Amino acid sequence: MSTRERRERSNESDRSLLSLFYSCALEHLQIKGERGVALAAVGGYGRGELSPGSDLDILILHRGQFSDEKLGAFVNALLYPLWDSNKVDHSVRTRSETNKTAESDLKTALGLLDIRLVAGDPDLVAGVQRDALESWQKNSRSRLPELKQSMSVRHHRAGELAYLLEPDIKEARGGLRDITALRAIALSGAVHVPLERISFAESRLNDLRESLHITTGRNRDRLLFQEQDKVAKALDYLDADSMMSEVAQLARSVDYLLEYTWHLLEHKGRDGLGRFLRKPRIVSVAKNLSVRSNEIVINPLVDIAQDPMIGLRAAAVAAQLGLPISLVSCGLIKTSLSDGTGTLPNPWPRQARESLIALIGAGESMVRVFESLDQEEIIFDWIPEWRPLRSLAQRNALHRHTVDRHMVETAVQAAKLTRKVHRPDLLLFAALFHDIGKGEAQDHCDRGARLVAPLATRIGFSTDDVETIVLLVAHHLLLSATATRRDLDDPATIASIIDVIPDLNTLELLHALSIADGEATGSAGWSDWKASLVNDLVSRVRSKMSGSMIAQPPSITDEQLLLAQSGELSVVLEKHASGYSIEIVCPDKPGLLSLVAGVLNILRLDVKSARTKSHGVSAVMSWIVSPEPHAPVINQISLRNELVKAFEDSSGIEEKIMLRAQAYASIPSIPVPAPEVVYFNDAATDATVIEVRSHDRPGLLFRIGWAITHAQVDIHSAIVTTLGAEAIDTLYVSEFNGGPLGTLRAEEVTSELRRSLK
Amino acid sequence: MKLITAILKPFKLEDVKSALQAHGVTGMTVSEASGFGRQKGHTEIYRGAEYTVDLVPKVRLEVLADDADVDAVVDVILKAASTGAIGDGKVWTTPVEQVVRVRTGERGSDAI
Repeated sequence: MSTRERRERSNESDRSLLSLFYSCALEHLQIKGERGVALAAVGGYGRGELSPGSDLDILILHRGQFSDEKLGAFVNALLYPLWDSNKVDHSVRTRSETNKTAESDLKTALGLLDIRLVAGDPDLVAGVQRDALESWQKNSRSRLPELKQSMSVRHHRAGELAYLLEPDIKEARGGLRDITALRAIALSGAVHVPLERISFAESRLNDLRESLHITTGRNRDRLLFQEQDKVAKALDYLDADSMMSEVAQLARSVDYLLEYTWHLLEHKGRDGLGRFLRKPRIVSVAKNLSVRSNEIVINPLVDIAQDPMIGLRAAAVAAQLGLPISLVSCGLIKTSLSDGTGTLPNPWPRQARESLIALIGAGESMVRVFESLDQEEIIFDWIPEWRPLRSLAQRNALHRHTVDRHMVETAVQAAKLTRKVHRPDLLLFAALFHDIGKGEAQDHCDRGARLVAPLATRIGFSTDDVETIVLLVAHHLLLSATATRRDLDDPATIASIIDVIPDLNTLELLHALSIADGEATGSAGWSDWKASLVNDLVSRVRSKMSGSMIAQPPSITDEQLLLAQSGELSVVLEKHASGYSIEIVCPDKPGLLSLVAGVLNILRLDVKSARTKSHGVSAVMSWIVSPEPHAPVINQISLRNELVKAFEDSSGIEEKIMLRAQAYASIPSIPVPAPEVVYFNDAATDATVIEVRSHDRPGLLFRIGWAITHAQVDIHSAIVTTLGAEAIDTLYVSEFNGGPLGTLRAEEVTSELRRSLK
Repeated sequence: MKLITAILKPFKLEDVKSALQAHGVTGMTVSEASGFGRQKGHTEIYRGAEYTVDLVPKVRLEVLADDADVDAVVDVILKAASTGAIGDGKVWTTPVEQVVRVRTGERGSDAI
């Protein structure tokens, strides 16, 4: 099985057709055959790629000089001997008829791009070849969308080659037909297609198809379960599993190039003003990163040794904006990892971890970015533990994806549940790595727990967080297994769960992980029925657990206490790994939180975390902020001056923030779950607690503070946390004249808050 | 010939399956089901919000049996499925006119 054998098979067909053609031409057309009539190969035969069961696609060209009767007799005489040995797909046309058919029939147009003379008039075939290519290139603007549409119908029908248990090597997404389509797109000249990236996939998939035809003795292209062992043996694979893993990998490489090519085509010349200026519009979106031609591009002049986190940041930004990373930038990242300039320290810095979480938490758009990190072999430098799982087949009816893709899909499902938990970062991380223990003949949960501990430590999670992640991975099947196999009415069942799960937070996380895992597995492993059993179990366990998941107000140091008692403004700004740490002690007043958040936002400082608390006449605030690209350089004095100005007159702040929000609106965005706003009247004695869980965005804290202040409510204390791209803000609030809010007031304030976050 | 249908608590499925196999029953159909009987679903209260679980998840098991064996099979199911608590489920039988094994065309008792 090889390209050479397929070519030899094609040459043999050429030789027999050649002699047949000349003898038939002489007998029925009374010509020697060099002029006015030709036999051409099209499609796969045109490319010289003939598997044993392949159709012989031929085109008989003539100049219209023969009577129908004569031509019919010639064609019949030519084809009759072929019918016994091959499945022949033929057509008989003049040059103009061929052009006309190609205009209306996409399949013909594609087949003609591979036309090749077998016998007869070379000028006739050369003319058709020229016409076909010129027409394809001239009409590419209408033909390529037509091609895309037909491919999408085929993909829908045939499914994905990488993940089906019994895939069709030719028709499925990522299969041989897609490779032909990519070649056709390249020939159109509309966009550069690096076909060399899939040449190995093409020859290997053709080997598989050839072997399948030989093994079955039929021309079927579907790799049925019962044939997989035989084909794997014929091709010297270790077993069918390793063959199917390679099939998945090959199909993914084809699909990746195809997706990227469509993206380039769709966004070519659609760059707003850039179209008229004839140069692409560039929008800076993060430090050393910009959007150009709807791709994330790393500044080519960047010194990666000085900014080794740029690769992860590029991936996070790309996923969060729903755009791909440009191939050139992927190359830059890969080179920096190969030469060591992009190597991350151990443990990773907080920003690197945040970028990874923001990437995982982007939902659907993360799949494409993660796929590019896999295809460009970048992810294996960051997370070597991922390599053994690459395209690892799970050949059972329960799973619809390979192990690695299943984990990515679980993360996509987990991203929908980030509002349901207090630690979305732990949920997302555990979701992406929950099956890391697969691939060996051991319990994958136990093995996964052993593998994930050093990984999570290296990524930079705290010891407590690593413990939670290990527990989540070790017990990710616990809830669904218990819910379906144990008696939920039996107190021992509930006790067995409480023995394993230490607190409500972990229960909440494990519940979300079970749902995400189930949803990603598909209908064979998860259903509303199973979900309701798991919900029932979780609510029973929850009712037996005690404790609180609400963040507690921060405590004040003695030093802060002294400053607070003085009632004067004090600002301390220091460098921090994420940017700056800022401590502000100032006279308290309604709306102070949104005012300070507003000033920071206008200074282009992203709030990563904040802890604020009122004490007597003062408020004590600790902020960690990270400067955005183009943020002005600030120091302690300039920040203090900006705050003083805002305390004196805050009227312009809202307008400035609105303008910034409008500027951000022009940058692409991805769909995210709606913010969740909940209140608890029983969580503190003197205050109502409002919890806001939302996708982070510029000015979020300003909006929250502003909405609460406008509802005539005082904020005592705030705990603001950003985890990846998610923000969790806990606010202890009371009426201006003291005391917690009544139920009606709390409802009113939370609805107002929800409205303002829309 | 009778079709025995049993509605069971999900966690009892394995016990019932093993008991039936030990009795000599070689085939059965199992599907996910939801519903309620006298148990009527139950009410949950979480963080002040009350919600009712209307439909309780159950498993539906179907077995074909010869008339002579029906009572014994029902007994096997009852014994294995019972916890004594509310919501243990139901078992009922319905007459079956004809059974044909698709592969061989065998009919009646031979097809069971």
